[in-house]
Amino acid sequence: MTDLSVWVVIPAYNEAEVLGQVLRELLDYDSSYHVVVVDDTSTDDTAAVVRRFPVHLLRHPVNLGQGAALATGIEYALRAKAEIVVMFDADGQMCPKDIGVLVDEVVDGGVDVALGSRFLNASPKGMSVIKKLTLRLATKMTRLVTGLDVTDTHNGLRAFKAQSLRKCVITQNRMAHASELLSEIARNKLAYREVPVTIRYTSYSKAKGQSISNAINILFELLTGARK
Amino acid sequence: MTLNEIGRYGGIPIKLVLILVLLVVLRMFLVQKSLVLIKRLVALAVFFFLLFLILFPHVSTRVANVVGVGRGVDLVFYMADVFFLLLIVALWRRSMTLMAVVTRLSREIALQNASNPCESNGRDGKETS
Repeated sequence: MTDLSVWVVIPAYNEAEVLGQVLRELLDYDSSYHVVVVDDTSTDDTAAVVRRFPVHLLRHPVNLGQGAALATGIEYALRAKAEIVVMFDADGQMCPKDIGVLVDEVVDGGVDVALGSRFLNASPKGMSVIKKLTLRLATKMTRLVTGLDVTDTHNGLRAFKAQSLRKCVITQNRMAHASELLSEIARNKLAYREVPVTIRYTSYSKAKGQSISNAINILFELLTGARK
Repeated sequence: MTLNEIGRYGGIPIKLVLILVLLVVLRMFLVQKSLVLIKRLVALAVFFFLLFLILFPHVSTRVANVVGVGRGVDLVFYMADVFFLLLIVALWRRSMTLMAVVTRLSREIALQNASNPCESNGRDGKETS
């Protein structure tokens, strides 16, 4: 628990099925969190589900992608004078209790950023061998490019100090923002630490989540993406 | 008329068609009121250059031989290749810029229309329905 204002940003696209459960679990865990859901022009009832909860709702007029939705939520949280910003997924894979661990790390651990990692302690359950290999390969590449010593580069659970997050620029609208954020952490020389987190692979999240073939898309996005 | 003769006369219509197409494209350029003078001049220069190539194809062949390419048509083809690649890069960059603009606009709209729990359903931490 902390006195600082913690903002949890959740990008969502067609997550009506599980988002209610995710928000309930999140608010039950800590009702002092300011929760921001960015609806990236869902075609289902995502927005209606969100409106049942005491959370902030932002809606993109056109679909832009997860990276863009995340950036919108971050912008909103920063304008609202957030002191700590947490990035969280809408698909129910992440556990709210891990937010507490990450926030503690940022508040008491003396780092600017706490990054969730699936691989730090144990191997995650329910993840296919191919997915594991793809992620390891992606991690190797990112380590090589950014020089960061991280074990899981594509974990969406992160906690930032607001003043550190202000320095990071997200230009990748779609999925390559995960690697981009790490590059930004490296560029700004932010102090970071990885924290083991639990990711629950359900049949829903597996169907919604990233397919292996998308790794190639992400690579392409990074290679062709707007350079600063 | 033999096939050869048709071929000989056929040389003139294709030139006519090409020149007509050139004229249409040139017109499309020049009718734009917003086009700056320098771009008008460039368009005119390109027009006369292409017109010259169409009217005197053997000149391009001679130039092609100088730079080590067999036929003039091939040389023009290679130059078109490079031109289209550059065009793709330019268009792609413009589309990236447009995408960034769209993103900024959408973000601003989303931020301005944000629904705040303090105003709508009260921050009591409870689910409403």
